[in-house]
Amino acid sequence: MAALASAPPPSAYAAEVAKAQLDIERLETIVRRNTRDVEKRVRLAYRQFHLASLTHQQRHFAAAEQSIADALRDFGPKEDLCLLKANIDGRFHRLEQVKEDLRSCPSLGRRSAGRAVQADIDFQEGRYDSARSTLEQMIAEDRTWDNLARLAHWTWKFGDRVLADRLYAEAEDELTAKELRSFAWLELQRGELALSQGLFSQAHAHAERAAASFTGHWKNREFAAKVLAARGELEPAAGELMAVADSVSRPELHQAIGELLLALGRAAEAQHWLESALREYLASARRGETHYFHHLSDFYADAGAQPAEAVKWASRDVALRENFTTQSALAWALLRNGDINDGLRWINRALSSGVQDATVFSTAAALYGLSGDAALEQRFQNAATLICPQGRTVHLHL
Amino acid sequence: MADHNDPNAVNSIFADIDYSAADLYDMFGFPTNGDSTALLALTFTATPKAGVLDSDVLYRLLMTSHPRVAFPLSQDLNFESAFGYFEAVKDKYLGELHPAEIRVTVRADQTALLKFIGFPCGNFSAVVEFNKTVVVRAPDGESIKVFIGGRDDAFFNDLTGFFRSINYAPQFYHVPHTMTEARELPIPKTLLELEDNDLFNYRPDFPTWGVFQKDGTTPKLDLPPGPWEWQGSKFKKDAKGNYRFVYDGSDCRAGQNCNAIVVEVPHRFITQDTAANRLVNCWGESWVLRAAHKVTSISDHEPSWLRHPWRAFKEHALDEELRAHKLVDTDGQPFADAALSEREDDRQLGANNFWLGPHFVKRLGHLGWGFGPSISALGLKCSFDHDDSPVSVHRIYDTAVAAFPRVAKTLFQQLNMPDTSWNPKGLNIPLRRPLEIFVPNVCAIDMDTTGSWPFGRRLEDQVATRFLSMFLDMGAELNGKKYHIDMLGDPALWKSLPIEPKTPPNPLKNDKEFLSDFPYLAEPWPESW
Repeated sequence: MAALASAPPPSAYAAEVAKAQLDIERLETIVRRNTRDVEKRVRLAYRQFHLASLTHQQRHFAAAEQSIADALRDFGPKEDLCLLKANIDGRFHRLEQVKEDLRSCPSLGRRSAGRAVQADIDFQEGRYDSARSTLEQMIAEDRTWDNLARLAHWTWKFGDRVLADRLYAEAEDELTAKELRSFAWLELQRGELALSQGLFSQAHAHAERAAASFTGHWKNREFAAKVLAARGELEPAAGELMAVADSVSRPELHQAIGELLLALGRAAEAQHWLESALREYLASARRGETHYFHHLSDFYADAGAQPAEAVKWASRDVALRENFTTQSALAWALLRNGDINDGLRWINRALSSGVQDATVFSTAAALYGLSGDAALEQRFQNAATLICPQGRTVHLHL
Repeated sequence: MADHNDPNAVNSIFADIDYSAADLYDMFGFPTNGDSTALLALTFTATPKAGVLDSDVLYRLLMTSHPRVAFPLSQDLNFESAFGYFEAVKDKYLGELHPAEIRVTVRADQTALLKFIGFPCGNFSAVVEFNKTVVVRAPDGESIKVFIGGRDDAFFNDLTGFFRSINYAPQFYHVPHTMTEARELPIPKTLLELEDNDLFNYRPDFPTWGVFQKDGTTPKLDLPPGPWEWQGSKFKKDAKGNYRFVYDGSDCRAGQNCNAIVVEVPHRFITQDTAANRLVNCWGESWVLRAAHKVTSISDHEPSWLRHPWRAFKEHALDEELRAHKLVDTDGQPFADAALSEREDDRQLGANNFWLGPHFVKRLGHLGWGFGPSISALGLKCSFDHDDSPVSVHRIYDTAVAAFPRVAKTLFQQLNMPDTSWNPKGLNIPLRRPLEIFVPNVCAIDMDTTGSWPFGRRLEDQVATRFLSMFLDMGAELNGKKYHIDMLGDPALWKSLPIEPKTPPNPLKNDKEFLSDFPYLAEPWPESW
């Protein structure tokens, strides 16, 4: 008789999703019995946010936001509720709302968690020095992994990539085996950092470590696909992303698949994915959401080939949060639309921040080239090459 | 989704805080088999469940044996001598002391790898099964009894009463993690309820308030908006003139389990000079594997130290193993953390807590202004100088110098034992003082005693009540007998006092009988939640 094969254990991702769902079911039962149990109501909202952070499914975020809104209505602006709301609002680029969340609970702004949120706002709104100063002070007070990661990101964007990687490594060292999800996330950040410099082997190694530390997470496969695409291995990259799309529905994923298929010369197939992405982006914008503005800008500037639309969405994004990323995106959209002078104005605003980013430098080089300034074109091209010697590779907007 | 750095998306602060296998409960230690062996028991949370241990956690039982330390003479007891003591202990622990250890790691097959490190006979290792008594044979022929597994939690204590006494709001209210200032609310700590203290006084209409329930929940209220203050001027009394005790003597750990590492170690295995070295100092530590090393071990095959455990005993390899872990918790003395270090993670220093000497003085001053007047109101003599305050006072000290005159007696007085049974040999063993007991944070077993707290810690010792006895004036007498550390555990005393309920603060015994033989801790309860 053949031995029965035992089922493989669930991946870490699947196990965590299952646990979060079970916790939510239990908490929902408890709060149905006693709607005045504020602790359970808050915990329910946190668990729902946790589930949403894992799956990135809109309905999971919506459930968390509904629980927060209900609890705020019933119990008022409690610190933990406002903190959670601020984080979700920040995630969806609702920066004015984040500020309102902090204002509605003044004590939160004095806490470490509230100050970290404020540092995120400062960064998003271009107050880079203020963000760095807050982060450095907080790390001096309490060396937490998430603040080290924030400072690493700041350091990376402003040019010290060696130090940034060291800070990410230090953040990892603060984590134990009970925090492997966070560890995997840090590995992906280190992978992105490597990728931004064209260090494909290092990026691949980080992808592997992320995959080994938090098994089964679709984010790991997404990043592996980014590495493959950057290496020019477009076919396997598309295959990876299509496998992810079987279980996760995200418009930016569909856009990335469409762009890969376009690059592979499979335009008809690509159209299906690109249309799906655009449909979702626009539906989101119609709902009053803002977090896909930069994707719309990217989409129309490149794959969508409607540069005027790209300028429109990039302008709306920059109006919400003016920083070197949104400034540079608008500059690129303007370039594609033929507005070279306006493009130069915006890219110079981005450059004035001191950002050290190959994409920003490449955009600057392109704009100066089109304006006829060969010297500056060369200077910025050199700056981009210095960071990423491979030059422009296939970059997926994930 | 977001084009910016977003660690909060995965930040564990947004997940519930699960029970951690690294959360240590208690360190017990007492002589057995006459004085030839020492029983050491480290208990910790039953996670993932009683009898099953977490393979990401490394436990250390550290021990050292040395002579009793003579304490400065009474005329030297002043601020300088107290801090001189902290310095001397620091030098001793940092400079001279090289504790031996039993290091326990959990293997994938739910057996334990024990490494015996730094003992006189040399290093060696053994693999033992869980939930059974195992005898490990040392290279020098000594036998060490080992039990690792699930047990009844040996701690018996009215935790709700304790938290009520220190105004620990998270036990009674929903307090967000961010609100650190709302943990111990800024009103007087007290053993007797304060008049019109709506924040913490017992509520007859809500008897389960702040009491841990069998289903794992603790009924709580919504934290009222601040300012949290108490405007009263006296203790609460009922119509009969009785005070209301914040304790009711309940056993909040009844029916609950722990996991435990229990060893019975020959004294001569720890030291070659057992005649001179009559103290065995021990403490426990928990370390959690760092994430980076977990990932390495996922991709690697079996770690080399499992394949070749002897090879791992090279100093370099040992350091490497500890470097792969992060120290999470330490345990030596009961209440050293909860009462005197305010449960702060960065004060998890274990035996190295001499740095906290000044903090202890300030914290004791703060507690004294709360508990001292409560004791005096009951007509008992108090060791803390509270200027005959008629009611508890909320006072915080910025400096140890300012607090010291108030706490000097509490810190330096010798704690009387209830009788002579603790000293079966009738030796000239000085009584211990709180200063010696809590700094360093070790369980100091005197091998010439029974090991009853503070000369070690026996399972049956009611240490929570004995801790409170520090605030009694040990020079005073009651019914012709000197105050002693079990006085507050005497039901007859409470019957005679103007207080309700008329009960000692904590249960007098464990909810389950201890065993008369190794491993001494009782069998675990069936796990119901």
